[in-house]
Amino acid sequence: MIPLIVAPYLPSYAVTVVYMLQNTEYQIWPYLRWFWRTQDFSKVERRRQLQRTKPARLLLLTLWCGMVLQVLVGLLLIALWYWCGLTGGWAFGLALIISYPVTWAHLILVPLVLGRYLIIKPRQRWLIIHSEQIFKNHKGFRVAIAGSYGKTSMKEVLLAVLGESKKIAATPANKNVAVSHAEFAHSLSGDEDILLIEYGEGAPGDVGRFADTTHPTHAVITGLAAAHLDRYKTIERAGQDIFSVARHLKPEHVFVNTESPTTEPFLKPGFNHYDQHGALDWKVSDVTTSIEGLTFTITKGKRRLELKSALLGKHNIGTLCLAAALADLLGLSDDAITKGVSLTKPFEHRMQPYQLNGAWVIDDTYNGNLEGIRAGTTLLKELRAKRKLYVTPGLVDQGQATQQIHEEVGRLIAASGADTVVLIKHSVTDFIKTGLTAGGFQGELIIEPDPLEFYSNLSQFVAVGDLLMMQNDWTDNYT
Amino acid sequence: METIAVIFGGRSTEHDISIVTAIASIIKPLELTRKYRVEAVYIAKDGAWYWDDKLKNIALFTSGGIQDFIHKNHPASVQFDSGMTLVKASGIAGRKTVRKIDVVFPAMHGTYGEDGALMGLLDMAGVAYVGCGLSASVVAMDKVLAKQIAAANGIPVTKFLTFSRLELERDPTAALKDIKKSLAFPLFIKPAHLGSSIGISRVTDDTALQNGLEVAAHYDDKIIVEEAVQNLIEITLPVMGNDQLTPALLERPLTKPEDFFDFDTKYLVGGKKGKGAKGAEGYSQLPADLSNALYDKTETIGLAAYRSIGCSGTARVDLLIDSKTEQVYFNEINPLPGDLYAHNWNRAGVSNVELVQKLIELAKERYQQRNLLTRVFNTNYLQQF
Repeated sequence: MIPLIVAPYLPSYAVTVVYMLQNTEYQIWPYLRWFWRTQDFSKVERRRQLQRTKPARLLLLTLWCGMVLQVLVGLLLIALWYWCGLTGGWAFGLALIISYPVTWAHLILVPLVLGRYLIIKPRQRWLIIHSEQIFKNHKGFRVAIAGSYGKTSMKEVLLAVLGESKKIAATPANKNVAVSHAEFAHSLSGDEDILLIEYGEGAPGDVGRFADTTHPTHAVITGLAAAHLDRYKTIERAGQDIFSVARHLKPEHVFVNTESPTTEPFLKPGFNHYDQHGALDWKVSDVTTSIEGLTFTITKGKRRLELKSALLGKHNIGTLCLAAALADLLGLSDDAITKGVSLTKPFEHRMQPYQLNGAWVIDDTYNGNLEGIRAGTTLLKELRAKRKLYVTPGLVDQGQATQQIHEEVGRLIAASGADTVVLIKHSVTDFIKTGLTAGGFQGELIIEPDPLEFYSNLSQFVAVGDLLMMQNDWTDNYT
Repeated sequence: METIAVIFGGRSTEHDISIVTAIASIIKPLELTRKYRVEAVYIAKDGAWYWDDKLKNIALFTSGGIQDFIHKNHPASVQFDSGMTLVKASGIAGRKTVRKIDVVFPAMHGTYGEDGALMGLLDMAGVAYVGCGLSASVVAMDKVLAKQIAAANGIPVTKFLTFSRLELERDPTAALKDIKKSLAFPLFIKPAHLGSSIGISRVTDDTALQNGLEVAAHYDDKIIVEEAVQNLIEITLPVMGNDQLTPALLERPLTKPEDFFDFDTKYLVGGKKGKGAKGAEGYSQLPADLSNALYDKTETIGLAAYRSIGCSGTARVDLLIDSKTEQVYFNEINPLPGDLYAHNWNRAGVSNVELVQKLIELAKERYQQRNLLTRVFNTNYLQQF
């Protein structure tokens, strides 16, 4: 109890407050919600630490100065009461000294709000307005990549494959909101053949707004799953938003991953479909999957390409096949397509394999939806290993479907053939356990309350011949 | 939740090694299982027992803070009450903290621990414990006894002689004469009861032999002198099990004959030469590069030695091979190998977390088997008096 009370008065408290702001991307309400549900401020920074960026350092300085000032004023009031008999001086002084952690955890939002509405927002608005003209006047193909999952993979695969012969530019990393698009537009040289623009939907209307600004000529819809349901409420509303990108496009310029069954109600005549069986007129066969990646053949009439990729899991076949088919449409040679596909490799924290203690670990911690869990558990089932381990905390932002989705997660894990399942303890753990039981899971179950302790001792859990799949990772602001 | 007491430290030359084994290789993986409550029980160099969560932190020992800890804390005591209970003063109004122990995990190397002394205590307490029992520990820690038992079971051993310290002090010349008459150089001189290669010398002439005997007699009252194997391949094999044995992999320490597997090579970072990774895992060939037939033969002899000594739980069998004749000799057995030889078990497919759990299960299995034995026998003997 004593450490809980003392923690806000320690010098590290200011760092914790700025860390919370940084981790919530300086969004006021998520920060406040997190702040008010935190009981022990000494245990907030569990997975990461504060990145001392320029804004973070500025906020830290403001906090420390403000807190010291408040304590000094408090002491002054007490001194005035003591020496000069200032009425109520001791009470106000003491109140100021006691309340400075809470006061400054809120006052720190003032410069943020002012900065956001007086500097950042107007600058972003200006950037976005000007970027619209840049996109509109650009001569290249402008390909919008939208969907609940698989967007970054699709973007990286298209970059690798089409980049073999075309000048191509793409929004960087997971920078996929309006302001990122605007910054991307301003970085273009204008002579690119193709622009790949990733749409990171988060709330109803997002995708429509992105399309209004970026003026896509083509769109790839990578799939639809329960994500951001705290804002969308239902998967149907998320689907309506994602498919709104197709509103102003010719149907034949829209490519939809039909492996995602939830896309079906939104399919319109003329849309192009792709999945692990093929894309456009190309058919997939002879698929093999291993920890080294995928090999498969695509055929179109008498043409036959034998392709190899370091990407893991059959769910990537559709993406690779579509990239190869689009490359063919754009006139790339067979050799260039084969080479481009061979250059594709796992992206950081997305089905990324690495060796630890002689075991294989597949890091899929950026995965955040049910379809990703399905792909990961399917891959775990397919790969051969002496012992299989599976680790997850569950999924975030699943709205009212949280229980149902996590029970399904449990069933999928049970069907993966995992020998050991480690659940990082969170509010959804019991739902996953219910699903595991329903799925007939017979292996070892470990409930891990301390994710940092677990991840930093991962090597203690694995040995030669083991295969460990880690899916999703909750940041500290989720419980 | 079961409570596991990990006992380490002790009055032994291998006190420091025991601390690392306990904290890094036993306590940490045990806690990671989330299945056990783990209690750290440290036996200081003066023999006092301490029990505290702070003892789980290696920094307490590496920083020298342990002296301060000992200064500020009262030793714990042990209660034998149909099992084992740890007791310590809590410091608040004279109240005591007690913890009933389900399984003891000894992490003691050398004297008063690995040599059977602790096992005898635990047998008396009637508590389950990990690793070899009293008799196997006693035999394993006596290199002479171990060789004699192995030889009696048809397991090949090198030619050796044994002397007591008194014999060496009384008539060293006679001992030297005996050795030169019966054995051929190069020779190994070893204290019979010490592990971690402490006090061992490899000698090739009379002067070195004399010095080596003095060094060994400084550490032990029983000394073994044995012929070195020509064209030597040293092999070590961790084994786990009570009745059903599971071998790990044959491991070959990559040392020259003059750099035999001594303390520095085993435990100091990078071995003697300061290269590679830490200690034993830094310079060995794993698995040993032997022909299939020789590998199988060596493994079979290793398992036979484990059985003949009566080991249970886990132990590491050291073997010697003459690479020309492919003759395999039993050398010695270590009932509690440093770091449990986790690096070898890892290569054999057993993770650290699995390893400690399996050893706990084996301890419980042996405890149950022992409890099935009849220990009392009613007679009319007393009524005669």
